[in-house]
Amino acid sequence: MDEAVKEKIQMVLLGKIKYRSSNLAFNMLISKMQKKLKSDPSSMDSCMGEMDEFLGKYPIVAKVDLANIAALKE
Amino acid sequence: MIKTLEETISLIEDGKTLHIAADDSLLKKLPKGSWIGGTTPYLIGDEGGLLTKDRLFVNEIDFAEEVKIVTYGKYNVFQIVEECYDNGLTLIIMPFGSQVAAKYAKEAPEVEELIMHPTVGWISGYDLAQPGEARVYAGPEGKSYTDRAVVMYFRLPEGKSAMINLVNIFEDDKNDPVIRFHDSDLSVRSCTVDGKETLFSDYIDYLGIDSKMPLVADHNGSYINTSIKSVENGTVSFYAPVFKDIEYRFAKKVEDYEGEFRKKTEEEKERKPFFSCNCILNYNYGNLSGKKMDPFTGPVTFGEVAYQLINQTLVYCEILG
Repeated sequence: MDEAVKEKIQMVLLGKIKYRSSNLAFNMLISKMQKKLKSDPSSMDSCMGEMDEFLGKYPIVAKVDLANIAALKE
Repeated sequence: MIKTLEETISLIEDGKTLHIAADDSLLKKLPKGSWIGGTTPYLIGDEGGLLTKDRLFVNEIDFAEEVKIVTYGKYNVFQIVEECYDNGLTLIIMPFGSQVAAKYAKEAPEVEELIMHPTVGWISGYDLAQPGEARVYAGPEGKSYTDRAVVMYFRLPEGKSAMINLVNIFEDDKNDPVIRFHDSDLSVRSCTVDGKETLFSDYIDYLGIDSKMPLVADHNGSYINTSIKSVENGTVSFYAPVFKDIEYRFAKKVEDYEGEFRKKTEEEKERKPFFSCNCILNYNYGNLSGKKMDPFTGPVTFGEVAYQLINQTLVYCEILG
């Protein structure tokens, strides 16, 4: 995952930009990480680790989300 | 596909791997084989919704490289996250009213690894017009259970992935008050509404809420429904649990339930699900008997599993790649 996409994912998790996936599991994961960050703002690294693991595990499904997230405007 | 008993027996005897939904009177006549099943006489076939005790709904599984079938009780149901294939799909059926279903319903959202393993399924049921007992069947053993979950694991070929999704006619109005519950439970008395301690049954009475409308929780745009089962003596019971620390609102009123359902399924008609199931509440409130739901055929269920237990939702799974 390149740095620009990582930054955008972090912004999605912080609620600074909105992204809705067509993949239920990805939406559930985003929602879960957003809550985790809200209760523990220092947990960004572990949240990003989980996002990375999910996206890496399902590259076929993740491809669309990664392209969409890369195209998000800040 | 809707099949006769003879056609289904023939598929089993041919060694096919099958997921089957039907009335118990039919499932108990099936021979041992590579299949799992759950009881429900309500099905959605190519010709629409039907209540039948002489036909079965059968999914023939032809995409998996390997399949295994296991049953679990309430103490070990979450072994599914350890025993599933790394690149796979888990299909689970649990009997309505069973302890294993209650355990799964309450604890699944807390099982961190679950989201990493596509898990889809349903809660088996019975004909609502007469007393019944929900069962699941494990084909290899030729046994049925009222208190165990039956699970079929699929190993997918490299380059293929399972994607689970929902068709949900409900959404919230972000201007409505936020409801939070103190515990994760299947029944509650109190809650907070916009932070104010409230008796939940009083709130329902006060708003005059139609109990056909579920509570909805917004998971980044994917709405997870929790339907009200009953309100008795100040206790509100649900078909699936509500969870502590989740924000709920009542779903916006849907005036034309059937029409809204048709519209939503029409939007998804290009999907190619290998599996789908639809809630008995949608079937009844949406008058889906006799209505075509193409491409979403499958059992009508007493609860749906899309990672966690949900309600009043059509759940489907596609194999991508």
